[in-house]
Amino acid sequence: MNYTMKKQLLILSFASLSCVILALYFASHGTTIVYTHIFYIPIILAGIWYKKKAVYLALLLGTAHIFMTLFAIYPPTMEIVIATSERAFMFVVVAYVIGLISEKQAKGEERLKATKDYLDNIIKSSADAIVVVNMNGIVRSWNKAAEEHMGYTAKEVIGTHNRKFFAVPEEAERIMEIVLREGELKNYRTIVLNNAKKQVHISMSAALLRDKNGVPVGTVRVSRDITKEVELEEKIKEERDNLNLILESMPDGVYIVSKDYKVEFMNRVLIDDFGYHIGDVCYKVFHNRKNPCPLCKNTEVMKGKTVRWEWQSHRENRTYDLVEAPLKNSDGTISKLTIFRDISGRKRMEEELRDAEDRYRVIFEHALTSLCVLEEGGRISLANQEFALLSGYTKEEIVGKTWADFIADEDRDRVQNYCAERREGRASACIPFNFVHRSGELRHVNAWIEPIPGANNCIASLVDVTELKRKEQELRETCERLTELDKMKRDFLNVAYHEMRSPLAPIVGYASLLELCELPDKGRKYVSSIEQSARELDMMINRMLELARIDSRKINLILTEFALAEVVQEVVKSVEPAAKKKHQVISTSVPDIVVQADKEKTAAVFSNLIFNAVKYTNEGGGIDISVEERGGDIKVCVSDTGIGISEEHLPKVFERFYMVDTSLTRKSGSLGLGLSIVKEYVNLHGGKVWATSEPGKGSRFFFLMPKRQS
Amino acid sequence: MEKKRILIVEDAAYMREMLTEMLAQEKDRYEVVDYAVNGKEAVEKYKEQKPDLVTMDLAMEVMDGIQAIIEIKKHDPNALIIAITALGTPEQKSAALDAGAGEYLWKPFTIRNLFDALERLQRKSE
Repeated sequence: MNYTMKKQLLILSFASLSCVILALYFASHGTTIVYTHIFYIPIILAGIWYKKKAVYLALLLGTAHIFMTLFAIYPPTMEIVIATSERAFMFVVVAYVIGLISEKQAKGEERLKATKDYLDNIIKSSADAIVVVNMNGIVRSWNKAAEEHMGYTAKEVIGTHNRKFFAVPEEAERIMEIVLREGELKNYRTIVLNNAKKQVHISMSAALLRDKNGVPVGTVRVSRDITKEVELEEKIKEERDNLNLILESMPDGVYIVSKDYKVEFMNRVLIDDFGYHIGDVCYKVFHNRKNPCPLCKNTEVMKGKTVRWEWQSHRENRTYDLVEAPLKNSDGTISKLTIFRDISGRKRMEEELRDAEDRYRVIFEHALTSLCVLEEGGRISLANQEFALLSGYTKEEIVGKTWADFIADEDRDRVQNYCAERREGRASACIPFNFVHRSGELRHVNAWIEPIPGANNCIASLVDVTELKRKEQELRETCERLTELDKMKRDFLNVAYHEMRSPLAPIVGYASLLELCELPDKGRKYVSSIEQSARELDMMINRMLELARIDSRKINLILTEFALAEVVQEVVKSVEPAAKKKHQVISTSVPDIVVQADKEKTAAVFSNLIFNAVKYTNEGGGIDISVEERGGDIKVCVSDTGIGISEEHLPKVFERFYMVDTSLTRKSGSLGLGLSIVKEYVNLHGGKVWATSEPGKGSRFFFLMPKRQS
Repeated sequence: MEKKRILIVEDAAYMREMLTEMLAQEKDRYEVVDYAVNGKEAVEKYKEQKPDLVTMDLAMEVMDGIQAIIEIKKHDPNALIIAITALGTPEQKSAALDAGAGEYLWKPFTIRNLFDALERLQRKSE
């Protein structure tokens, strides 16, 4: 029994006792009417406090009232009995009604209290902060979680404005505005400041509170501390950003697709190639297919496997190297990250390399040079067929032998030094040495060692020059013999010419002396003939000597400047006696030019051509000498009206001892040496000679010669 | 006019004889003072006789003509010498002229050639 109940019981007892005493007092004074009303006081109180139990008090007080009345008025009249009974009955009725009402009310209250307790408990024990704010922004309620999260006690904040809790104070009005407009707020993210002024990320849901007339009176806000989630999210985002940055900047193609093939990411390389297709399905974007590709590794990757594979695109004739890996998303789903690289170039190069290797192998094997590959230390690791032939071993037997096995003892050091030098990139010529055949026979070879780039080995190529050497020796001997013979011939000719000429001296000399003597006409004629023949013999010897000198390259040009016309005139003058004898006319047409050349030889050229013209032209014929300038050259033409030369002989007239007609030669007493000398002299000046002719009508001899020697 | 004294240097006897015959045609002008058969002898005879003119064959034993010309020129820079040879190469001609020969005569030559050469040589010395 608690204090309230004791107090109630005391009040009731006191009130009831007071009523009984008062009733006794009035009864003793003979009145019963007035006091009865005061009995209602304890009855009503009891009805309120003890509910229907008040009926017992009413019965007690009713009985007491009846006895009081009987005590006061005895014997009672019928009226009094009825009135008294009626009052007593009224007490009971009132007590019952009030008890009933009280009981009902108490029951409602109890229910209300239970609900309130329940809600209070929820609010109190909620992990989320629950705050009630009225329309003016004043905090009306602040639960335990709010205290914990914010560091403010309910006592401190209830009755204060809620603006101070937001990192951005305007948020208070903003939230209110949204709630008013929408009627509620769901998972609204904002930042609040706790008591320590630290930022706390919250997710807030709010609802509008209305009074029974539907007028908004405030908002109830449920907030959750999501600082940790936000930090985590930011971290994840940052990492994703970093990852994206890496992926973006990769030269390889990178894309991410979801389980259902949706492109979630593609890097710059891909966007540049395919355009921006995030959100589309990969097989459509990359392969223009209606269904997932048959080779797609999605299923495996979705199981958590990382796959690396090569994909050959036959349509584009390209090869790709792909790495596909699972990528866990924050929501627990898996996406597929694909990194691929176009390795077509590399593949092609590999193929080309293989082809090249095959090609080189064929070349190596079928080369007509002996080839072998020398490893460090001189071991032979590969040899071709030709090397096998040279050495007398099979290719298999050669592998494993050393290079030195094939070098003759006396050459070994020299060849090894050469090899070492070649390895270092020095020594440039090939080396000759004696190669030892299986039989022990020596072969002369020329060897060339070439280091293989990027490797430690060398390739040795050998050419068997044994036969070549023998032939070379033969040739050298032949050459020596021929040189000797040539020298002997020249010496012989020189001596011969000299010896031939010496007896000519007294012939010519005495003939000239004889002419001074008194002789009969016949004798004079004979002497003249002797002299003439001796002179021709002399001229022939001179020419032969001159040609011999040209052949042994003893001739040098002695260059001087001279007027060409003068030289021509001198020559014509010397020929004129012979021409006059045959009644020939010599005409000249030479421009006034100065040339730089060997004067004597130039004169000899003119002399030979003009002498020939006179010689081969019949009596009364004409000889014409014309010179013209042709740029830096002079072109000379000596034409005659002589017997001419047939076409077949024409190209050969400049050859030595070439005689167009032996009978003619005999008649004229000449050896075909004059034109040879003309040709040699003109050639020495860098010019050329040629001839045209019409047999029976005449010949034209031309030569072209530079005006100056450069 | 004073007779010119000539030394004939020539290894071949028939040539010496012929030259003598030729020079005899101008007895009033030329006189053969002596003969030499090689270069060495020529130098000695030159020193001994001091001739006005020398005909010098180039191809000789013991000492050849070129060497003899050089020796004579060394002894007497004003010596007048005609080189005579059968080997008529330009090289030999210029070798003889370089050595100091004033004229050059190729074999075979006529009496006319000889006197022309002698006259040219003398004109040059004047």
